Amino acid sequence: MQAVVLAAGEGRRLYPFTDDRPKVMLPIANRPIMEYVIEALAANNIRDIVVVTGYKEETVRNYFGDGRAWKVNLTYVTQEKQIGTGHALLQAASSIDGPFLALAGDNIVDAQSLSALIDSQQDTAVLIEESSSPSKYGVVQLRQGRITAIVEKPPQAETNLISTGIYRFQPSIFSRIEDLLQEGKPHLTDVVCQQAQNGEQVGAVTGTGTWMDVVYPWDMLQVNAQALRAAAPRRAGTLEDPVTIRGNVRIGDHTVIRSGSYIVGPAVIGEGCEIGPHVCIFPGTSIGDNVVIYPYTDVRFSVVMAGVTIGSHTHVSHSVIGAGTAMGSHFTARHGTGFMEVENVLHTVGDAGVFIGDDCTVDDQVTVEPAVAIGHRSHLGSGAVVRKTLPPESNVM
Amino acid sequence: MCGIIGYTGFREASAVVMECLQRLEYRGYDSAGLAVVGGQLHLFKKVGTIGDLAADVPDMQGGTAIGHTRWATHGEVTLANAHPHTDCRREIAVAHNGIIENFQKLRQELQRAGHTFASETDTEVVAHLIEDAYEGSLPQAVAAALKKIEGSYALVAVAREEPGLMVAARRESPLVVGMGDREQFVASDVPAFLPFTKRVIYVEDGDLVVVRPDSVQILDPAGRQADREECLITWDVEDAQKAGYEHFMLKEIHEQPTSIAHTLRGRLSEIEPQVLLEEADLGETDSLAIVACGTSYYAGMVGAYIMEQLASIPVATALSSEYRYFGQKRGTVIGVTQSGETADTLGALRAAQRHGCRTMAITNVAGSTATRIADATILTRCGPEIGVAATKTFTSQVAVLVLLALKMGLSSGALQTDAVRGYVSALRHLPSAVTRVLDREEHLRQVAQTLASSRHLFFIGRGIHHPLALEGALKMKEISYLHAEGFAAGELKHGPFALLTPETPVIALVDDDPVRDKMLTNIGEIKARKSPVIAVAPDHDAEIEAFVDGVIRVPSLPPPLSCFPTVVALQLLAYHVARERGCSIDKPRNLAKSVTVE
Repeated sequence: MQAVVLAAGEGRRLYPFTDDRPKVMLPIANRPIMEYVIEALAANNIRDIVVVTGYKEETVRNYFGDGRAWKVNLTYVTQEKQIGTGHALLQAASSIDGPFLALAGDNIVDAQSLSALIDSQQDTAVLIEESSSPSKYGVVQLRQGRITAIVEKPPQAETNLISTGIYRFQPSIFSRIEDLLQEGKPHLTDVVCQQAQNGEQVGAVTGTGTWMDVVYPWDMLQVNAQALRAAAPRRAGTLEDPVTIRGNVRIGDHTVIRSGSYIVGPAVIGEGCEIGPHVCIFPGTSIGDNVVIYPYTDVRFSVVMAGVTIGSHTHVSHSVIGAGTAMGSHFTARHGTGFMEVENVLHTVGDAGVFIGDDCTVDDQVTVEPAVAIGHRSHLGSGAVVRKTLPPESNVM
Repeated sequence: MCGIIGYTGFREASAVVMECLQRLEYRGYDSAGLAVVGGQLHLFKKVGTIGDLAADVPDMQGGTAIGHTRWATHGEVTLANAHPHTDCRREIAVAHNGIIENFQKLRQELQRAGHTFASETDTEVVAHLIEDAYEGSLPQAVAAALKKIEGSYALVAVAREEPGLMVAARRESPLVVGMGDREQFVASDVPAFLPFTKRVIYVEDGDLVVVRPDSVQILDPAGRQADREECLITWDVEDAQKAGYEHFMLKEIHEQPTSIAHTLRGRLSEIEPQVLLEEADLGETDSLAIVACGTSYYAGMVGAYIMEQLASIPVATALSSEYRYFGQKRGTVIGVTQSGETADTLGALRAAQRHGCRTMAITNVAGSTATRIADATILTRCGPEIGVAATKTFTSQVAVLVLLALKMGLSSGALQTDAVRGYVSALRHLPSAVTRVLDREEHLRQVAQTLASSRHLFFIGRGIHHPLALEGALKMKEISYLHAEGFAAGELKHGPFALLTPETPVIALVDDDPVRDKMLTNIGEIKARKSPVIAVAPDHDAEIEAFVDGVIRVPSLPPPLSCFPTVVALQLLAYHVARERGCSIDKPRNLAKSVTVE
């Protein structure tokens, strides 16, 4: 069986992190979201995979290459404009010659979830999940185990069953997509809904494994913490004496953790990091490669991407720090309940800290109020107090 | 990185293994060896390339053999350290790729139990562990030995008593099984056996593989029979080695975030801060010269600028072919050579030594001649480079020279520790800065399209950007056969100006440094001659567009480290110009990878 992974989308609701990478490349437990998808496919022995790229596609191609490291064979096609998922899938048409899976590269999924869908013998089938917040997704209506309709992001959901956007198709789907594209319907849900309306069988397969989506920046924290639980513990690098490590902690090669540091898992620390002396890392934290954390700093329940420097006496909690950002000493990310406006919708966010984009410079003694996003390449001057979300390349004196 | 191969089947195993080893050479080539099981266990090893091994390999009959090609990153390149390794009685042979982390402890235990060791390697421990557990069944003995091992491995073992059998295992290092008709293979990578079979099984972590000519049995860590699906390979050997890239050069350009990280790994400490280069202790020196050829020479020139700037030490640079006959030979002489075999650079180092100079080699190949001649060696650690046009070795050579400059600056007091910490912090960002250049490849391809039909092309820069301009022009010449010249920007009006026409594009390297205004003046002078100017400029330069016809943006880094993203952009530019012009990129006419003749 073949698979098509849709990886072209930007994921604008994840500002500021998608200014530098497509959503599929957001790191969860130090690995891009799409890597989980590729691994789930490989574990089901689906090795012929077409990846549809678009927004910042080089980041995807440079990371995954020909897929050899995952024992799969990846080929790439480009979707020039991100019109819709149906249009994206159509770009892969010439590479597909039998039943195949179509799935989003920006949702975490495990091997077990896919296997039931692969085994289903129906020409068209959709993997569905129960969701506690169905109105963020396409809500599925069922009759006798078949899908009768998928309603995209309804304000009032009639069921708590949602489409995961993971489909099993036959190649005949491509001509349908083309027809609907002519009618101005570029999404895969349009195609599946039309099939259901025509009385054709659209199977629903309920997932029994893990399926997780990151919609907003604060979702990264929960999803990261959950993914960390599944990461295999590993010791490498240099641990000075005494360093305390408890729970499931994964440490990369050539990382130095200096004396007096205290690390509680689940947590993952990348390669080539310098941590401490006297740094505390608490559960639910991912530290990327080449991160430096100066003495007397604590990081908890956060995602710290590669190449970040965190100064001493700093408190980072419930926060996401973008790659390459350098923070001075005495930085405080206050965490608590706040409001964040994403794509013109105001959200109440409980327990969120700061979401700093890539390559920012934060001078000493900066404080950021809860639930604030800071655009990439911004500069926060010494002593600044940031109370609201900032656009890219802001300069706060 | 090392490569392993195992064969059992109806052919003469030593010939098959030799052929497979040749296709693993990209994984390393400083020493190699093979073991053949016939009536007895034959062993042959050699320091040098697979070609050297092939030239001397004796007749060793048998249907089962294992082979290994080594690329030392730690430990010396010696005959004793070359694989395969054997037990005390030379009855069991093992080839291994990976690192056995607890080997010191195991080695001591084994020695106390009476085992004698022939090498310094971690691998030999495995052979002795198997010997200890061996009671007539190699699969059981290997399984028992693996229980004691911590670390990563892909390994394959054979035993004299059991011809027609090999046992392989993996944890975290790559291993594939190739399945043929009455013959089977195991290898680090598919290309090794691809001419023989396209049917492969990817071995999972923790698997034990028992291979006989007519069967492959895979056992999971619990010892149960495991079902691993068979795959059919659809690509050919050369594609495979290029990992999906069209050319080796492009692959190697794209490897630079990793290769630079490898060069720097374990050598930086930001919080302290310090540079850890024990191997580079040059002692007190009042005079320093860097000698090299070609791209390495330009890396040396870049390094000289950086050393003078960071360590306030005067540094002379010289072409090896000139220096060896005419250079002032005193103080310390650093030879920069990718292969460690460049004849002129070896000659220059020897000449310097005869005059009583201290010598140091900066090279990519452990155990190469340069490392044996020089008093000290720093390895660039960026893995084998196959494309003739040097790319990743240039950036790694410059990275080593930056480390050396920081170390000298620290010890001479020219650099305060706070300044060092700033540079170390910036060095950490090199891999991600280079990644961002690679992510902009599409734009460079578009610029290359506009340049491809030019007949002449100039590169200009000041300071550290002067040698970068020379390197940019060299890359362009080497692979696109376009007439390209690099100049110090201030020198243009002393002659080269006469060559400027509206058909001569000029690539101007602009940085946020004290000579930026001078560069803008130079650009203005060129524009007055109606030559199109394309600037390579940092992201934060908001005004550059007004002065030039096109801009290639590179991520901002503090000078002089900005040279890394700049040179990667120039490499991609040269690559895409050559590609537009349909040139033979990996094997340019008249050029060889390492010049071992004078």
